[in-house]
Amino acid sequence: MTSAETYEYLLPLESLVVSGIQIGTKIKTKHMEPYIYRVRPDGLFIIDTRKTDERVRIAAKFMATFPPSSIAVVSFRLYGQTPVAKFCEVTGCVPILGRFPPGAFTNPLCPSYMEPQLVMVTDPAADEQAIGEASKIGLPVIALCDTDNVVENIDLVIPTNNKGRKALAMVYWLLARQVLRERGAISTDGNLSVPVEDFETKLTESKEET
Amino acid sequence: MSELKVPTCIWCGKTIIPTEYFVKFPCPNCGGVTITRCERCRKFGRPYKCPKCGFVGP
Ligand SMILES: [Zn+2]
Ligand SMILES: [Zn+2]
Repeated sequence: MTSAETYEYLLPLESLVVSGIQIGTKIKTKHMEPYIYRVRPDGLFIIDTRKTDERVRIAAKFMATFPPSSIAVVSFRLYGQTPVAKFCEVTGCVPILGRFPPGAFTNPLCPSYMEPQLVMVTDPAADEQAIGEASKIGLPVIALCDTDNVVENIDLVIPTNNKGRKALAMVYWLLARQVLRERGAISTDGNLSVPVEDFETKLTESKEET
Repeated sequence: MSELKVPTCIWCGKTIIPTEYFVKFPCPNCGGVTITRCERCRKFGRPYKCPKCGFVGP
């Protein structure tokens, strides 16, 4: 990696910051401490955007080594659902949106049973059922983790605001683009045909945040 | 190949018991080494370090 001044982000830093991916919460867990850049006077912990950027690159590299249809991407919370659906549309991964069907990874008799090789979750707190099942059958887990998340049964953390509508759209958009780059489906500086706005859960279609 | 040895946890060095909830995956960064994490290290979010590229997770 290069020095702080010359580090090249996946998007200009200003665009990343506008989406709010660096905005954490007022709670900091010991697991998330290494990813925190500073604390604002109002007590909000701010995530180091460079670490988010680096982890998006690593997660994409990792995901690109798995067949797309063997990766399950989970979001219980509403604001993660459009980003995950779009991410899966672009990359061919399998979305699991809303309430996680118990047994989906562990019980072959479950109607939504699948056998993924890799699991990605949007929020370790809300997607606890998916993580629990993945841990029982030894599946590696990638997770978007905010400053207040406990890193339990997670194998790769992407530190980011995992609650904001725009932040979730941004991080899944970056990840989708990077996965395609790593697979060689687009060039290493290629872009998605879908704009980041299309990854946002629109407020008009939102019922209520869960 | 090292793959044939009894698997041990990359962080605490403990021998993996086949009945525990361990995990095994290629290093996310370089893919060159298999990372094995025991149930406890994984549960408590303890780190792992790739012996090949130095990547530290989770
Ligand atoms: Zn261990
Ligand atoms: Zn490595």
